Amino acid sequence: MRRFLRISSLLLGICLLLYWAVPAPSTSGALENVKKRGYLLWGSDAEGGAPYIFPDPKDPAKLIGFEVDLADAIARELGVTAKQAQNAWDSLIPGLQRGDYDIAMNGIEITPQRKQEILFSIPYYVYTEQLVVRKDEERIQDVDDLRGLKAGTLSGTVAQDILMGLGGVDVKVYSGQVEPYEDLAIGRIDAVLLDLPIAAYYGKPNPKLRYAGRPVGEGFYGIAVRKGDADLQHAIDEILAKLLISGELKKIYDKWDLWNEAQEKLSAKVRDSSGYSGLEESRKAPVHTFFPMLLKGAGITLFISSTSMLFAIALGLVLTLARLYGSAPFNGLATAYIEIYRGTPLLIQLYILYYGLPNIGISLSPFAAAFLGLGMNYAAYEAELYRAGISAIPKGQTEAALSLGMTQGMAIRRIILPQAFRIALPGVTNDFIALFKDSSLVSIIAMVELTKTYTILAASTLRFFELGLIAAVLYFIMSYPLSLLARRLEEHLKGKRR
Amino acid sequence: MIRVRNLFKSFGGQRLFSGLNLDISQGEVVVCIGPSGSGKSTFLRCINGLEYFQEGEIEVDGTALHSVNRIKPTGADREAIRQVQLKVGMVFQQFNLFPHMTVIENIIEAPIQVLRERKEHAVDGARALLQRVNLEAKVNSYPDQLSGGEQQRVAIARALAMRPRVMLFDEPTSSLDPEMVGEVLSVIRDLVDDGMTTVIVTHEMGFAREIADRVVVFDRGEIVETGRPETIFIQPQTDRTRAFLSRILKH
Repeated sequence: MRRFLRISSLLLGICLLLYWAVPAPSTSGALENVKKRGYLLWGSDAEGGAPYIFPDPKDPAKLIGFEVDLADAIARELGVTAKQAQNAWDSLIPGLQRGDYDIAMNGIEITPQRKQEILFSIPYYVYTEQLVVRKDEERIQDVDDLRGLKAGTLSGTVAQDILMGLGGVDVKVYSGQVEPYEDLAIGRIDAVLLDLPIAAYYGKPNPKLRYAGRPVGEGFYGIAVRKGDADLQHAIDEILAKLLISGELKKIYDKWDLWNEAQEKLSAKVRDSSGYSGLEESRKAPVHTFFPMLLKGAGITLFISSTSMLFAIALGLVLTLARLYGSAPFNGLATAYIEIYRGTPLLIQLYILYYGLPNIGISLSPFAAAFLGLGMNYAAYEAELYRAGISAIPKGQTEAALSLGMTQGMAIRRIILPQAFRIALPGVTNDFIALFKDSSLVSIIAMVELTKTYTILAASTLRFFELGLIAAVLYFIMSYPLSLLARRLEEHLKGKRR
Repeated sequence: MIRVRNLFKSFGGQRLFSGLNLDISQGEVVVCIGPSGSGKSTFLRCINGLEYFQEGEIEVDGTALHSVNRIKPTGADREAIRQVQLKVGMVFQQFNLFPHMTVIENIIEAPIQVLRERKEHAVDGARALLQRVNLEAKVNSYPDQLSGGEQQRVAIARALAMRPRVMLFDEPTSSLDPEMVGEVLSVIRDLVDDGMTTVIVTHEMGFAREIADRVVVFDRGEIVETGRPETIFIQPQTDRTRAFLSRILKH
């Protein structure tokens, strides 16, 4: 316990040091820097990002989208060129604050909460939220019908706030905009609420899906600029106003089929951009109000890790036995399985299980995919541990068992495996710790465990730092006893052979 | 009890046995001696099916082992081997006790798993055997808490628990400290006095001479001489026996 306290306080100290060591944002010269440098670096997420920004299907090395056109126009007016900086959508604002790029522009809704963190330009687009359902859906006319049903949306969006605010809706939060529509089409969820441009590009073309009801909510996209870079903000404001009045903005939106009468409000909003006001309170709430959600996430992490580890242990045993004692087709198959699973990334295995299998008609629930993905991956590692354990047992043990009249199977089960397990045990415990942390990868398949809970909360409150620390501490509290156990087992086995 | 006919075995392209023959009758005590690598241990392991051989036949108490396919033994081959292993008890140079089991668990394991004895019955039998090898006090010890001599005596009790018709000893004292050799040999002597058919591979010449009904001398995969211990040790008939004995008795 004393060791635990010592380590915890050390960790805390390091975190505080890091916190203080982060330099304060620069206060001026941003516009000058951009002009001197000759290009404007703008942060956005091109992954599944149509029609905002996405790889050109005809030439994937080239990025296209209405925001690409807009960035080019703004850069041109500044007398420079535009360069895109890729970042996950959830992390665009933290990246901006860190200084990774000059501006962030990627359908970022103007909200009062974000305005506390960064500066916004005047709005460049009026968005609405469009509900999309399956063609044959009869229960859902508009968002109020969603109570008791499953609705998907993007993490950290205003749509998420609307869904959460309804109460009683089972909200599934995704980090990409393709996946919710895929899941809707195959019936994993009942509806998707997202910004109209997204719905127009990903939902509408899908023959299995249709719009439901009129657009709800209304707000503005703005270009995010660091606090302190007011000179850059003003320059962009002037350029946007110019593009709007000259009609160039409308031309861009027409090109992408995004112009509608809602955009007329842009002119009226040139100076006043109040935006959508959502769950402001939760964003200022004291940290402990997030504990129940984080603890629930931690519980799910623990559950997924434990069940998939048990599966890995059992499947690993089958693989080892097939590899060591199996006859012709089976030992080869087991060896191939082990090599393939060890030689490919877990992340890709998870993607194939969850997003790939539906292509051939197999649709797994997020839990089933997480359980199978982690378990099947770690089984390969467990199999190798057992094999090492079994090879460490002297041949004389088998011979003694056989000479006592035991069958080969009896000798393996009663004499070899119990000893091999003892040898493999510290390794298995270590693997459990590793699996426990790797379980954060299942957050990509709509499994809301601890890491996903953290990114959702952090993206909507922008409190990446404190919530991140809490999530890390929760992981640590759960994994530290395991590593203590592993160490004790190792010492115990070093001391005695049994 | 044991009949070995025309045994051929090669290993890695090298011929080890080319036509061994030996008969051992019930209650007989046969001691195999000979230089290291002469094939006496391998011969012993052939008798209880731990080694494969290419040609010939070994019959133990009416069950015959034929040359079996080493890569793919048939079900019948496996069953014959197992029948022989049930009739033959084996004691190894390295004891080969099961380190994860206590002394009593080592002994009752096979009676319960293989003979389907009830546990209480098996434990009673095991206690009697431990008394016989003078280890009642070590019932619940683990092998690594015992001396080498004690471990080997437990190994003998473990083999006896299967009530074998034949006992094979493969250099039972070779990895023991000198002061422990005596206790193991006295247990074997006790067993032989009870009339157990026994085959022993050993380098303990004094013990061989004292206990053997017949001594078999191996050299380079051949049986060069068999005979009563008095004859072998005092008036060996072949040069190869003489050469071996003079080498070993010099030390």
